[in-house]
Amino acid sequence: MYEEPDRWVEAVGNRRQYLDEQFKQGSPVVALTYDGGILLATVSKGTPKLYEIYDRLAIGGMGHPTDLEKLRFSFLEMAHVEGFNRSPSDVTGSRLVKYGIAPVIKQAFEEVYKAPFIVRILVAELGQKPEKDALLTINYDGTFEETTGRAVLAATPAVQTKMMSYLKEQGPVTLSLEQALDLALRAWAIGSLAHQQEETDQQAEAQPPASGAGLAAAAIPSADALMAHVSGIAGGRTIECAVLDRQAPGTSKYRSLKPAELSRLLPKSLQSIVVS
Amino acid sequence: MGMHGDFLQLLKEQGYTLGVPTAAAAGHTLTNATTILAFKYRDGVLVAGDRRATAGNMVMYDRTDKVLEIDRHSVLAIAGVPATAYEMVRVLEHSFKYYRRTQLQELSFDGKLRAVSKLLKDNVPAALAGTGAVVPVFAGYDLEQGSAKIYFYDILGAEFEGAEYAVSGSGSPTIRGILHYVNTWGEQPLGALPEEQALVQALRLLTSAAEFDSATGGVNREASLYPIIKLITGAGVQTVPDATLKPLFESQVVRYV
Repeated sequence: MYEEPDRWVEAVGNRRQYLDEQFKQGSPVVALTYDGGILLATVSKGTPKLYEIYDRLAIGGMGHPTDLEKLRFSFLEMAHVEGFNRSPSDVTGSRLVKYGIAPVIKQAFEEVYKAPFIVRILVAELGQKPEKDALLTINYDGTFEETTGRAVLAATPAVQTKMMSYLKEQGPVTLSLEQALDLALRAWAIGSLAHQQEETDQQAEAQPPASGAGLAAAAIPSADALMAHVSGIAGGRTIECAVLDRQAPGTSKYRSLKPAELSRLLPKSLQSIVVS
Repeated sequence: MGMHGDFLQLLKEQGYTLGVPTAAAAGHTLTNATTILAFKYRDGVLVAGDRRATAGNMVMYDRTDKVLEIDRHSVLAIAGVPATAYEMVRVLEHSFKYYRRTQLQELSFDGKLRAVSKLLKDNVPAALAGTGAVVPVFAGYDLEQGSAKIYFYDILGAEFEGAEYAVSGSGSPTIRGILHYVNTWGEQPLGALPEEQALVQALRLLTSAAEFDSATGGVNREASLYPIIKLITGAGVQTVPDATLKPLFESQVVRYV
């Protein structure tokens, strides 16, 4: 069926469409550097989406839990074998992604007879110095991007851009963990609202457009409105946060924020959600 | 498979072997001999080791660290061939981390003990060939039970619990008797000692071992060389700095006659 090259291109195109569809219900992931390290935040529906990979490495994911789990194990195996055979400082996010995980995802994506990985992954790496902190994102087709300071995962590139520009508007100020958490959750709300907007836009396509709908989509909601959205959704879910903490004792720098610590750091309006 | 969180198995699948039995060449002396000790005190467990590495009558090195932190709550003190011992520590360190990160829970204290046993068992051929014998003491804080624990091993991997204390290395026969005496007829049992007195006791014990065993390095004040002493409590492993040991040694260990 796919012997001819143009059929293969068509099949890959179909795959993109199929995969884009899979992320619509997903929850965005935000990573931000703060004065003590890197913060990862998302709101999850039960299965955790943030994981420790190595001494200074963590991942956040979107997509199918089983696929994420498979790739998480690949990350862990590679990182630990490399750390044992060479040294922990040779285990870098960039090497794991470029020579390890991204090629595997790309191959699965292009083998049109087999199932692709339904995942987007964000890799956070705590450098020995703050300026060496690195963030990488990998898409379901194996393409990856390296950034610093901030990175996000969302259902579509448009939503990702929206979240990123919201984060960038805050300027290059150094944030405390509390401030970073507040900003990360607002950015998450931007992404989550944009997902909902895209959904309604799609449903509305068949019907005549309601007046003023375009305007509402363009405006950025206030901080309070964004937090209200988070607390509206987080009630039935879990606010999941983890940090790579530069000051953590020992070699492992990863720590997931437990309810007690999280509720202390969260804005007042959200504290009750975490404790309950 | 890696899915079980067994790091050693993962290494083996990639062709790794721990102890390769090679007969020691005649006339070649391996580095070994030492004194390590662990005893429970009021707040947890204290683990100490001298810093000398010897090969025959040669002092190879006098800044060896034989008390190695494996994770936040466990320590392996090593006596025997350092090359194998350090390798074991590296395997254990990665094994515990790998288990925690893959299984999303801490390896139980018993699981950690088994891991040490398994490594020693894998190492039996090398130990019997004379090139890789390691006789460690494993000490840690069992968070689930909220208590400190000490275990010692023979070279074949049999594990024994040291209810109050454990020793290993060439200098250990000397201090084993002292530990028994102090613990049984001393002013108070070791388990009741507050931190400072436990430290003094450890310094005295290692000084005694060095007195009778040439392969154990005592305290070298000229070079500011103090033993490595680690304290393990519910809060984790803590290395006692030389700055703390120095005044204790000078006021309560040295005797000006």
